[in-house]
This record gives sequence, structure tokens and C-alpha cells, in this order.
Amino acid sequence: MKISKLLLITCILFLGINLQAQKHFTRTGKITFSSEAPLEKIEASNQKATSIIDLETGKMEFAVLIKAFQFEKALMQEHFNENYMESDKFPKAIFKGAIADLTKIDFSKDGDYPTKVKGKLTIHGESNEIEVDGTINIKDGKISASSNFEVAVADYKIKVPAVVKDNIAKTVQISVNMNYELFKKKNDHLTQKN
Amino acid sequence: MKKYLKYIILLVFIGGAFGFYMYNKPHKNISKAKTDLELSAIQLFADFENNEADANTKYLDKVMEIEGVVKDVTKDENGMTSITLDAGGEMFGVICQMDNLAKHKRTDFKEGETVKFKGICTGVLMDVVLVRCVEV
Repeated sequence: MKISKLLLITCILFLGINLQAQKHFTRTGKITFSSEAPLEKIEASNQKATSIIDLETGKMEFAVLIKAFQFEKALMQEHFNENYMESDKFPKAIFKGAIADLTKIDFSKDGDYPTKVKGKLTIHGESNEIEVDGTINIKDGKISASSNFEVAVADYKIKVPAVVKDNIAKTVQISVNMNYELFKKKNDHLTQKN
Repeated sequence: MKKYLKYIILLVFIGGAFGFYMYNKPHKNISKAKTDLELSAIQLFADFENNEADANTKYLDKVMEIEGVVKDVTKDENGMTSITLDAGGEMFGVICQMDNLAKHKRTDFKEGETVKFKGICTGVLMDVVLVRCVEV
């Protein structure tokens, strides 16, 4: 673990600037979800998702800590973590995938680019292949990405007891908002400081 | 039967009130919550680095006081402040997201200053993340 991280950092520091310039990164991504069931509307948000996008290959990765989701009601948050997501056992949700139609996006030109992203979503220890619609926005060289999609609770083996079946929706709306920064920038900043 | 009725009604009422209270149970007040563990940002990060699974069992959901040197301060569009504490690593550290339910004495921090935050540990992505932080 330690060695691999060191290696990664060394690679990033010593590989050509060209390669770095292709990667954009955020550690303050926003992911929210809402479940609208007949009896109850449940919403939660997480502002600490990390994500990386590789402009050359179109690969995208997202990771989020389940326990960092904040709910309006403490009890909901407790149930979410303990009963449904079992976040002690499965602390993260991860998506690894790629932009399906990369050629349609011109990263050097400002604008909104609707796109599809395909990949593997892992929640609650269960992985599923998904394909979602999203938008890549380019403005002054800054990249942001957003998407709204639905996830079926049953696909991820999240058990909802019959008693609360009217409180928790079968499909949950997920919305993702990422404002990326150039990966290189952070290094520059650090090397300046050192 | 009739003489039990008022007890039954009372029981139902208490049950209902208790249920209502539980449903609206407030979030933990971090400032007043008992601190489970106290350590440095460097130590916390190193523990997660060395063995994530062990660190998860040790630290997840715990109210922790973390001391460290401010490396980076960011504010998001909702005005929520996050502070990255230096943990010895080149790129990653310990991120403390300030509690949006609490009142803060200040939310502006300078790079290089030593601070102590109390918050709940949620795990590690690339940085170790603490949420609902307050300065102590």
C-alpha cells in the first residue's frame, strides 16, 4: 500500500508534463441522492467525493465514503449506515468507467457536451455494469461533469424490510456534480512550497 | 376492562411521543460530544496508510480530535469550509469538513498554522476524511 502510493507519486512527479496535463481531479465532488416513497422523502448529500478524469482515454473514476453522507434527520443517517448500507463493512462506493463517445467532446473548446458514461458501479459490496447520461462542461479550460441517474436498491442487495417498504423507494435518484482541477496544478503548488 | 382503558391510552400516548422524539432525534452535537480518540493528523494518516481495514475498525464513526498543520483551505458554493491538514504525504492529507450545523468562531484558516479539530472520521479515499468538524 505504502510502496504503491510512493511509486504512484514518483510516477506523477517524474513522468512527462504532457501525461499529467491530461488528468483532471477533484476531492470536493458533490454527490446527493434522494428516495421518494409514498410515505417519506429521504435526501442526503456528500461533498467529499473524489474523482479523476483522464482526457486522453476518457476514463473516469469516482469514490465516495458512505459515512460522509449527511442527512437531515439523524435517525435516517443511522439507519442508512447501520441497516441498509452496512457502512462498517462497506465504507466506500466506487465507480470505474469511461466516457462512451469521447470523440464528440472537444476539451479545448468551451461548451456543454452531453455524453454517456459506461462502467462498473460498486455499492454495498455489489458491482453492476451501468450506463448513465451525463454532461461534460468546459469553461476556460476547467472541466466539470454532472449526471443524474437512477439506481435500483435491489441491484445492490440492500435489504429493505417489508415494514418500511412504503418509506423507502425501490429506485433512488442519484445526482453527481464534479468540478475538476488540473492534476498538475497541485504538484506545482507543492513543489513551489518545498 | 374499562379501568385498564386509561392505562392503555396513556401507554399509546407515551409510545407515540417516544416514537416522534426518536424520529426527530437531533444530530449529535459535536462540540459537546465526548471525544473518543485524540491524535495527530500524521499519525491518523499513517495508520490508514499502513492498514486500512484495521484503521477502519479503530477509527470509523469515532469522535476524534485531530491536531495538524493547515495545508489547504477550500470553500464550496454553499460556503462550507474544508481544511486539509498536512500528514507528511506529498499530495494527500487529512480533510476536515466543517460542520454546517454548528456555529464556528471562525472559518478562515491560514496555511501553516497549527489547529485542532474535533469531528467524525468517515474513512479514507485518497485523503482521510473527517466530517462535522469544529475547532477546539
